[in-house]
Amino acid sequence: MKEIFTMWRHTQMVVLVALSAAIYAAILIPFKGFPIIPGAVEIRPANVIPFVVGLLFGPAGAWGSAIGNLIGDFFGTLSPGSIGGFVGNFFLALLPYKLWGAYFRRDENSEPNMDSGKKLVVYIAIAVLASLVCSGIISWWVALLQIFPFVPVLILIVVNNAIMGVILGPILLRLIYPRVKRWGLLWTEIMEPEEVSASRLQSTGNILVWVGGVGAVVTGLILGTTGAAPAGLGIGLALLPFLILVVVGSFMLGGREQVEALEEEMAAEESRA
Amino acid sequence: MEPAVSVQGLGYRYRGQQKPALEGVDLEVAEGEFVVVMGPSGAGKSTLCVSLNGLIPHFFRGRMEGEVRVRGHSTREGRVGEFAREIGLVFQDFEAQLFSTNVALEVAFGPENFAVERDEMERRVNSVLGQVRLEGFEDRQPATLSGGQKQRLAIASVLAIEPRILCLDEPTTDLDPVGKLGVFEIAEELKNRDDVTLIVVEHETEETLDADRIVVLREGRVVADRAAREVLRDVELLEESGVMPLQVTRFFHEMGLWQGQLPLTPEEGAQEFRQRGWRISQERHRELVDEDEERTQGYGEPIIEVGGLSHRYPNGFAALEGVDLTVRKGEFLAILGQNGSGKTTLVKHFNGLLKPTGGTVKVGGEETTEQGMLRLGQSVGYVFQNPDHQIFSDTVSDEVSFGPRIREMEGAEIKERVDEALSAVGLEGRGEEDPFGLTKGERQRVAVASVLAVRPEVLILDEPTTGLDYAEQRSMMELVARLNEAGSTIIVVTHTMWVVAEYAHRAVVVREGKIELSGTVREVFSREDELWEASLRPPHIVSLGNSLGYPVLSVDELVRVTEGG
Amino acid sequence: MDPSLYLDRDTWVHRLDPRTKMFLLIGAFVLAFIFLDPLYELVVLALVLIFGYMAKSLENLRRIWFILLAVGLLTLVLWSLVGGGRTPLFLFVELESVLYGLSIALRIDTTIIAGVIFLSTTRNEEVAIGLVKLGIPYRFAFAVTTALRLVPTIASTGFTISQAQRSRGLDLDSGNILQRTRKYVPLLVPVFVTTIRSTNVFSMALESKGFGAGGKRTFYLRTALGGRDVVVLVVFVVLLAASVALRVAGYGTLEGFSG
Repeated sequence: MKEIFTMWRHTQMVVLVALSAAIYAAILIPFKGFPIIPGAVEIRPANVIPFVVGLLFGPAGAWGSAIGNLIGDFFGTLSPGSIGGFVGNFFLALLPYKLWGAYFRRDENSEPNMDSGKKLVVYIAIAVLASLVCSGIISWWVALLQIFPFVPVLILIVVNNAIMGVILGPILLRLIYPRVKRWGLLWTEIMEPEEVSASRLQSTGNILVWVGGVGAVVTGLILGTTGAAPAGLGIGLALLPFLILVVVGSFMLGGREQVEALEEEMAAEESRA
Repeated sequence: MEPAVSVQGLGYRYRGQQKPALEGVDLEVAEGEFVVVMGPSGAGKSTLCVSLNGLIPHFFRGRMEGEVRVRGHSTREGRVGEFAREIGLVFQDFEAQLFSTNVALEVAFGPENFAVERDEMERRVNSVLGQVRLEGFEDRQPATLSGGQKQRLAIASVLAIEPRILCLDEPTTDLDPVGKLGVFEIAEELKNRDDVTLIVVEHETEETLDADRIVVLREGRVVADRAAREVLRDVELLEESGVMPLQVTRFFHEMGLWQGQLPLTPEEGAQEFRQRGWRISQERHRELVDEDEERTQGYGEPIIEVGGLSHRYPNGFAALEGVDLTVRKGEFLAILGQNGSGKTTLVKHFNGLLKPTGGTVKVGGEETTEQGMLRLGQSVGYVFQNPDHQIFSDTVSDEVSFGPRIREMEGAEIKERVDEALSAVGLEGRGEEDPFGLTKGERQRVAVASVLAVRPEVLILDEPTTGLDYAEQRSMMELVARLNEAGSTIIVVTHTMWVVAEYAHRAVVVREGKIELSGTVREVFSREDELWEASLRPPHIVSLGNSLGYPVLSVDELVRVTEGG
Repeated sequence: MDPSLYLDRDTWVHRLDPRTKMFLLIGAFVLAFIFLDPLYELVVLALVLIFGYMAKSLENLRRIWFILLAVGLLTLVLWSLVGGGRTPLFLFVELESVLYGLSIALRIDTTIIAGVIFLSTTRNEEVAIGLVKLGIPYRFAFAVTTALRLVPTIASTGFTISQAQRSRGLDLDSGNILQRTRKYVPLLVPVFVTTIRSTNVFSMALESKGFGAGGKRTFYLRTALGGRDVVVLVVFVVLLAASVALRVAGYGTLEGFSG
């Protein structure tokens, strides 16, 4: 996880944080009825942005979507709930690039350009999981603050994010990835391998994140619908272990391998030229 | 004395590129000098700029050869930030270099980074805002400034660091004439200061007359490095290098004068013309006017009819007031005017993007408000200024087929139209390429093709030559002229005056929401005073003709009507 | 379109140090979360509104009245249905759950209004300086304010792009939800690509102006905690302490509500 701090050394990454955040906020704001109006499965295309910037810009995408969501709140809905939105959106973009590497062998082409069935399946799985985690974090927080009932918030955030992420994400990545690569703006190209954590027990980390994400949502749903602990401290405590699993898993997933892979590819190209 | 900048054997190849961007470049710029760098797109001008303050080799990853010294310090040693105090760099894209919420803070950004004391900072902010004539703008948001003001602000924000050398990379390319003038006035003042060395990348020759030296780059190499007037007189060299020569100079060159005698400006030209005892043949000039007349007779029925059109934006700004205009089939109409004059508002009514708030707009005899945009799009195609604002597909043919697909045409029909449109813009056989692998000029063509694929009768082009180099501008306009000959009605919104003179048939000047002048291009361009009032400057050759009493539109025309040469 | 909420007025609130304003904002959040009785919440809301009035910032509420109304009603309805209590009103809705819903609705609206007042009286740069002075790294603060500054620029690019695509025949309003969603591709790709493309020029311009040149940095905007700040802070801390004391003493709670 150290890359989320070391990235700030690079001016380009700082700029990518700002641009990702600004894009996210600029698309969010016109669609801002309110993030969680029940039953409104309105089209909110902005929700695809975290997945895209996460896979392309790595840690800069994670900060970018966290800040972008906060700025969205700056245009009318800044409240204590915004903290949950910040952290939730951070993970919404962090997990895609963290998890991505866990599904591809070292010698396998793992560019997220959606040019194979496998990449598509991996992407969809990751997008759904990241949506679960994001929603788990935000609804956990608002439940803790006791400002919204847990279950409706949870379901709406998962649905909104996952639908847009799954429908729009693959098309956008297919169209945008080659251009970003051409301009040398992939996070794997800007950052140095030693600035990124190496993975430790990657598969275990992967499993932990899944258990944490799915577990948090399922537990929350059960507790919420059965009325065992509808709000407040009860749900807060029950979900905390799962959210901790997600964080621990993210630490184990690393990311240095992706940076090294791109470096090798560039070197190979260089020697051919 | 040590030179301000010394470049020795500089070569650079960007990572992943086969060809070097610069090769064996030697250049020396003395303290206080004003040097202009010219050359076509891709010649390496911008690469040269970014190698002056150490962005090359520190920011870009690539292979650098040779050495660049700025006031004695090699750029290889030390970081970019350290050179910022020696040499200030202003980029062409002014939108991407302003990031503060108000003008004063934008200017203070550099000094803040160098930990300049608060009082000194305030002094500098006031002083440089005065230099770029933005006093009183301190609290304005940069986003609310005009293009010219933004570029001046970008210059101010660099001047505030008080560098001894200033490098401006195509500072006026994206500006309208008034904006350009403002930037040149600043350059003029800086040039007169002994303590500032000025390096300007420019491709408009008319603005380089005052330079001490001109350096011409071609394919990464220096092909000329001589006194400005000398280079400007070398018409052949400039043409070979994809730089538009001065029109007056080219005229006399074609009339057979030898290089050393060539005049540069309209005034010098008129004097030379008279001294040599040349005359304009009235008879041949009459022919030109008759040809205009004949062409006007040949137009078809009215296709766009605008009556008493007014447009008021929701914020209350009256962009258009009582505009009447008729466009007939087969015309080639140029709409001229400053940014903010209302010219773009006017044409956006033609394809239904805007609805009149007063008066009527009819296309094909029917009011636009009665036709949906989808149907209007069949008759009126609109190519926006920046092709990147519409290109989204991963191949050229996908992009071009967007219009036909959205209109639910058959596969075979779509293919036919795509092929037809691609060959019309000279991109046949390149349908499978990635649009973003193309040059700006080629992407502009893709945008035109994607509109042509719907086969509209009228084609509106908004600033089709902005941001292109001379060769690209020419080939773009040749393409438009061919489409016009093949029957398309063309409406071009532009402030590139030589393009209007050489290609359009009729011109309309819009000023403050009203039509100020209207007529054949020859008629409109003969009224120089009124053009000046609308902040438009006719091209040099037109001015020369006017001062001789006979409006001509191109060098070729003046050659044709000149007697005694 | 200018979505920025900042209002350039000359009031004593505007002149406060950004750190003071941040503290007030967080304090207002805390204040709104202390009580559960709608009457007490109403008092807190009134205090915030009076403050906003003095800051000449209430006109911005007109821009978000819909959000305030929607959030308020939504919260009220949700909690009325989900919550439980002792006094039945109608069907399965109880008085306590309605009161609780009302309270929470007021609480959320109060925090949102406090947020709007903060943004109406504080420049982006002041937010940045405030953050930096509170120990947040400069580069992070820079990214936040730059993003804020770029939002209107990107929104207007997006508007141009939608005009360009509509000119080519794109109609966002037809088709089923899947088709309509996919129609955003021709808008999202150019917005994304044109914005991201400027990353390099942007970064170069920054470095060319000494971004990251050295460790120390000065600030053009003056910030200093003055006498006014101290007075405001003291008054506010007293207010907070009094509220907490009231609550601890058992006032402002809501009896008989079960989640």
